Amino acid sequence: MRQDLSPWKQAAFVGASLIFGLAISIAILAAAGIPPLTLASELAGVLTAENLRGVLVQAAPLILVGLGASLAFRIGFWNLGIEGQMIFGGIFAAAISIYDVGPQATRLLLMGSAAALGGALWVLLVVFLKNRFRVNEIIATLLLNYVAMYFLFHLLYGAWQDAKTAFPQSSPLRPFERLRDIGFGINSGLLIAIAGVLAAGWLIHLSRIGFYTRFISANPRMAKIVGVPVQTATVWIIAASGACCGLAGFVNVASQEGRLTQSYANGYVFSGVLIAFLSRNDPIVIAVVGFLIAVLFITGQTLQVFYQIPFTMVQMIEAIIVMAVASSEFLIRHRIRWLR
Amino acid sequence: MASALQLVGIRKSFDGALALDGASFESQAGEVHALLGENGAGKSSLMNVAAGLYAPDAGSISIHGVPIALSGPAAARQHRIGMVHQHFKLVKPFTVAENVLLANPQPHFASGIRNIRAAIEKQVSELKFSIDPNRRIDTMTVAEQQQVEIVKVLVGGARILILDEPTAVLTDAEATGLLEIVQRLARAGTAVVLVTHKLQDVKRFADSVTIMRGGKTVAKLDPRQSSAEELTELTVGQTSALPERTPHQGGPTRLNVGALTYTRGDGRVMLKNTSFHVRAGEIYGIAGVSGNGQAELAEALIGAIEPSSGEIWLDGIGDISRASQAKRREAAIAAIPADRYTYALAGSLPISDNLAVAQIRSGRYGGVIKLDRAAIRQDAATAVKDYDVQGVRSVGQKASLLSGGNAQKLVIAREFSRNPNVVVAHSPSRGLDVRACAAVHQRLIAARERGAAIVLISEDLDEVLSLSDRIGVMSRGAIVGEFERPADRQAIGRAMVDHG
Amino acid sequence: MNLGDFLINWIANAPVTAVPYALAALGLIVAERSGVLNLTAEGLMLIGALAGAGTSLLFVGYPAVALLAAMMAASVVSLLFAVLVVVLRINQVIAGLSVVFFCQGLTGLIGTLAKWQNKQLSGLAPLKIWPLSEIPVLGRILFMQDPVVYLTILIFIVVNFLLFRTMLGLRIRAVGESPAAADAAGVSVALHRILAIVAGSSLIGLAGGYISVVSVKLWVTGMTGGRGWIAVALVVFARWAPWPALAGALLFGCIEALIPHIAAAGIQVPQYLMLMTPYLATIAVMIWVGAKDRRANQEPGALGQPHVREERR
Repeated sequence: MRQDLSPWKQAAFVGASLIFGLAISIAILAAAGIPPLTLASELAGVLTAENLRGVLVQAAPLILVGLGASLAFRIGFWNLGIEGQMIFGGIFAAAISIYDVGPQATRLLLMGSAAALGGALWVLLVVFLKNRFRVNEIIATLLLNYVAMYFLFHLLYGAWQDAKTAFPQSSPLRPFERLRDIGFGINSGLLIAIAGVLAAGWLIHLSRIGFYTRFISANPRMAKIVGVPVQTATVWIIAASGACCGLAGFVNVASQEGRLTQSYANGYVFSGVLIAFLSRNDPIVIAVVGFLIAVLFITGQTLQVFYQIPFTMVQMIEAIIVMAVASSEFLIRHRIRWLR
Repeated sequence: MASALQLVGIRKSFDGALALDGASFESQAGEVHALLGENGAGKSSLMNVAAGLYAPDAGSISIHGVPIALSGPAAARQHRIGMVHQHFKLVKPFTVAENVLLANPQPHFASGIRNIRAAIEKQVSELKFSIDPNRRIDTMTVAEQQQVEIVKVLVGGARILILDEPTAVLTDAEATGLLEIVQRLARAGTAVVLVTHKLQDVKRFADSVTIMRGGKTVAKLDPRQSSAEELTELTVGQTSALPERTPHQGGPTRLNVGALTYTRGDGRVMLKNTSFHVRAGEIYGIAGVSGNGQAELAEALIGAIEPSSGEIWLDGIGDISRASQAKRREAAIAAIPADRYTYALAGSLPISDNLAVAQIRSGRYGGVIKLDRAAIRQDAATAVKDYDVQGVRSVGQKASLLSGGNAQKLVIAREFSRNPNVVVAHSPSRGLDVRACAAVHQRLIAARERGAAIVLISEDLDEVLSLSDRIGVMSRGAIVGEFERPADRQAIGRAMVDHG
Repeated sequence: MNLGDFLINWIANAPVTAVPYALAALGLIVAERSGVLNLTAEGLMLIGALAGAGTSLLFVGYPAVALLAAMMAASVVSLLFAVLVVVLRINQVIAGLSVVFFCQGLTGLIGTLAKWQNKQLSGLAPLKIWPLSEIPVLGRILFMQDPVVYLTILIFIVVNFLLFRTMLGLRIRAVGESPAAADAAGVSVALHRILAIVAGSSLIGLAGGYISVVSVKLWVTGMTGGRGWIAVALVVFARWAPWPALAGALLFGCIEALIPHIAAAGIQVPQYLMLMTPYLATIAVMIWVGAKDRRANQEPGALGQPHVREERR
C-alpha cells in the first residue's frame, strides 16, 4: 500500500534541494555585492589546515546543540530555548569558577556538570509550564531566550563584571578551568562533543529509554497502551536536551572565550533547528552537519571581519537550506502519487 | 416517466478493496425509497457517488433519464441533488443562517443573511421544525443540527434528497418526527432516498426498498408487501452451520463491566450504562451496527480512553477503568484493536521491536543501560515462526511492510506472549482474507481453551456467531439483549437492525 | 517629578508602544482565522521595519510612502510562507521559524550593506485634534497622537467588519474552523488561506514599519527585539478576536512604555531586569490563560492542520 521511494532517490531529491538552496543563497549574496568568486576563495581559505582548527573549535558547540535539539524534537517538544540554555549553562559553569568551588583536579568536571544542570533546569521550567498550564513551548522557550540574555547582561554589567576591564565580561577563567587543546590542534571541547555523539548513539540504539523514545515518537497512543512510561521518558529526554545545550554554552565559555561574555550563545537557535532537521536524528549525521555549519560560521565570521557583512547572513542561508529541503519532501511525496 | 435518480452498474474500489460491485439503484419523485443493508454493504458509498463525492470506476448516473457526469459536490448541487451525511458538514461556531449562507452564497453579506434567514424560516415552518436561524450550531442538539443540514440542502433547491442513516443519531421520538416530515416532502414531489439499516423505519415509512449486500444490489421490493423476516434474511443472509467445539465449562467471572458511561468530546454520549460479564474459558461476542459505542467500549477496555463512570472489574486486580498505567500492565489484558496502526503497531519501527515493547519494562530484554538485542531478535524469530507470520524477510524490517493478515498475526503474537487472562478483540478480522481470518479465529479459540476470558467486538455477524459462547447485542451504547450459543441469527439480526 | 506628571507622560506614550503589538496581533488574527498557524510575525516586522526605514531614507519627507512600502514588502515575503504551508504543505512550525530567521538574516544583510543603520529618519508629526487636545490630561493622552495611532483604530474597525460582516470574511472563517465544511460548500480552502496570509502580513509589515519610521525614527538590525513573538502570544490571549487583542496590545504598550520612564524618573531598578519585563509578562499572561481555561481554547478549529480534500475520487 505505501510505496516508499528508494532511499537513494530520496537522498537525490534532498541533495538536489540542498544545491538549489545554496544556489539561491549565493545569488542573494551576489545581489548584495559579494561576488561568488570571493565567496569561493574565502571558503577555500577556511578549509586550509591552519583554519581547520578554528572550524573544529566552532563545531563542538554546534554538534552539541544539534544533539540537544534533535533529542527534544524527536519526542515532539519544540525546544527553541537553545540560546537561553546555553546562556545558563555558561552562567552555572562560570559560577563554579567565580565562587571557587571544588578542588582543581575536578574543577572542569564540576563546571561541565553545572552547565548541564543549568541548561536542563532552564528547559524543565518550560516543561512544567506546559504540563501544568498548557503553555505553548514554542513561544515560551523563545521568550525565555530573551530573559536569559538580559539576566546575563545583568550579571556582566553588574555583580560579575571584571573590575580590571570596563567591558561587559567576567573575570577570566583560571588556567585549569579552561578547555585546552590536546594536540593536533584539537580542542578538548570537541572531545565533549564527540562524547555527546557517542552518548546519543548509546541512548538511541542501546538504552532502554531510547527504545521507549522511538515508540513515543512513532506512535504515542500505542506507546501508552502498551505500557511505555511516556511521561517519565519524555521529561528525561527533554532534560537531556537542555543539558546538551548547557554543555554547548560551557564549551564556548571555557574554550575559546575563556570568560563569560555577552555573545557566546548568538546564532545557535536556528542552527540547532537546522542540524536536527537535516540529520533526521542520526548522531553521526549530526556530527557531519555540525562540522559543515561550523564551516559556514567561520566563513561568516571572516566575511564579517573583512567585508563588513553582518553575521546574520549565516542564519539567512540556514533558513534557505531548511526551506529548500522541506520543500523537497513535498516533491518526494507527490512523485509517489504520480508513479502509481 | 423516467426515474428521478438512476444509478446503473456502479463499480468502485478503494486501494484495491471493492466497495461497489455493479450496484444499481432507481428512485422516483414523490416516493420515499429506502436503501437497506448492513455495515459495509455499500449503501453510503453508492450514495456518495450520487452526491458527486466519489467518482465511480464504472457505471452511469442519470437524472430524469438524462445521463450526467458529476465532477464534484458542486455539480451535484446544480443537478438539485442534496445529501445529508452521517457526519454533518457544518461549521460549529457559526449560526444556522451563516452555515446556510456559506453553502448558498449570496452577493452581499448583510442582505444575503436577511434573505437566507427568510428562506430558512419559510422552510422551517413548512417542515414544522423549530430552528432559530440565529442560534450557533454548537449549542444545538444533534437532532437539531440534522434539521439544519436538511434545511441547508432544501434552501439550495434540492429535488433529490438523500439522507444517510439519519435516525442513527436520534431518539425514537425524534426519528419518528423526522421520518414523518421526510414523508411529507416526498408527497410534495421530492425524490427521497433513505439510507438505513433499520427495518422498522423501512416498514413504516418507505414506499419501496432496495437491499444491498457485499457491494451488490440483491433485491428491490415493496416493504409493505414483504414480511420482516424476508427483509432480514435478504439483508443479513442465510444461516450457516456453526463449527463444532467443546461446550463452555463455566468458569469464574474474569471480567465484569458495570454501568460504563462515556461522553465524547463533542458531547455525544457513546456508552450508556454498558454492562456485561465474561467468564474464564468463554468468548463473549458483541454484535451490533457500528457507531453504537463499540469503538468506545473497546478503547475503554484497552485503556485508550477513560470512562466517565462505571467500572471495569478484573478478577484478581479490581477496577481498572481509571487505574494507573502500572496497574493496567499488571492486569495483562491482551488488546487486539480494530485499527492496527493506530493502537497496536508502530509501522515505522521494526517487527522485532513491536513484538518486544510489551516486555521491555519487565527486564526480559536487558536492563536500563543496555538492551539485549539478541534476545529481542531471538524471541521475535520464534514468535514469527510460531504464529506463522508471512512476508518477513528479517525481523528488522518495518512493521508497515506486512500485509494486513500478517500484521494482525504479529499483534496477536505480542499480545498472547504473556498468556493473558483477558483478551479484548475489536474487529480482529477486518480487512483480512479467508486464510488469515481462519488463523486469527483459531488463535482466539485456543486462548479460550487455555481459560482466557475473551471479549469479541465485531460488525461481522458471521464472525460473532461462529466464535461466541454468548452474544450481547449493542445498541445506542448499551447491551440490549443477550443470546446463548447456538444463537438464532434472525433474532440477533432483528435486535441489531431493528432496535428503536 | 511628581506622580501626576509621571503618569501622564507614561500613559501618553503607551499608544505609541502599543500600536506595533496591536497591528501585528491583528495581522496574525486575520491569517490564523483561516486555519494557518502563523509564527512569522517577528520576521515580517523586521522586513517592514527595514523597508520603511529604507524608503524613508530614499524618499525623504514622505513617511506615508515609507509605511506603504513596509506593508508591501511584508506581503511579498509572506507569499513565500503562503506557498510553503498552503501549496507545499510543509510543517507550519518549521516554515514559520524558517521565514523568521530568513528575514532576520536578509534584513541584517541588506540594511548593513546599504549603510542604513543609525540614520535619523524624518518620522511623523503628532496630529493635534483641536480643540479636544486642549483638555487637560485627557487631551494630551487621547488627542495628540501621531496619525497612525488613529489609523490603527480605524483599521481595527474595518478588519472587524470585513471578518464578521462580509461574505469574504465568512468564507475565511469557515475555512479556518472547518475546512471540510467549507470545501463541501464549494469554497476554495487554498485560495482563502493564501489571501488571509498575505492580507494579514501587510498589517504585520505596517507594525514593523511603524517602529522604525515613526516610533524610534531610525533603523538598527534586529530592532523588533521579540515583539513578534509577544504578538503571537497576544493572539492566543485574545482568543483570536480583534478587540481583546487591542486591549492586550494596550496592556503591553503600557508595560513597555513604563521601562524608560522609570529610569527617567530616577527610580533605581536594575536596568536589565526591567528589560525582561515584557517577556515575563507575556509568559505570565500565557499561564493565566492556561490556568483559568481548563476547556479547549477558542482557537480556529482547524489551526495548524494542512488541508487535503479526502482523496476518495
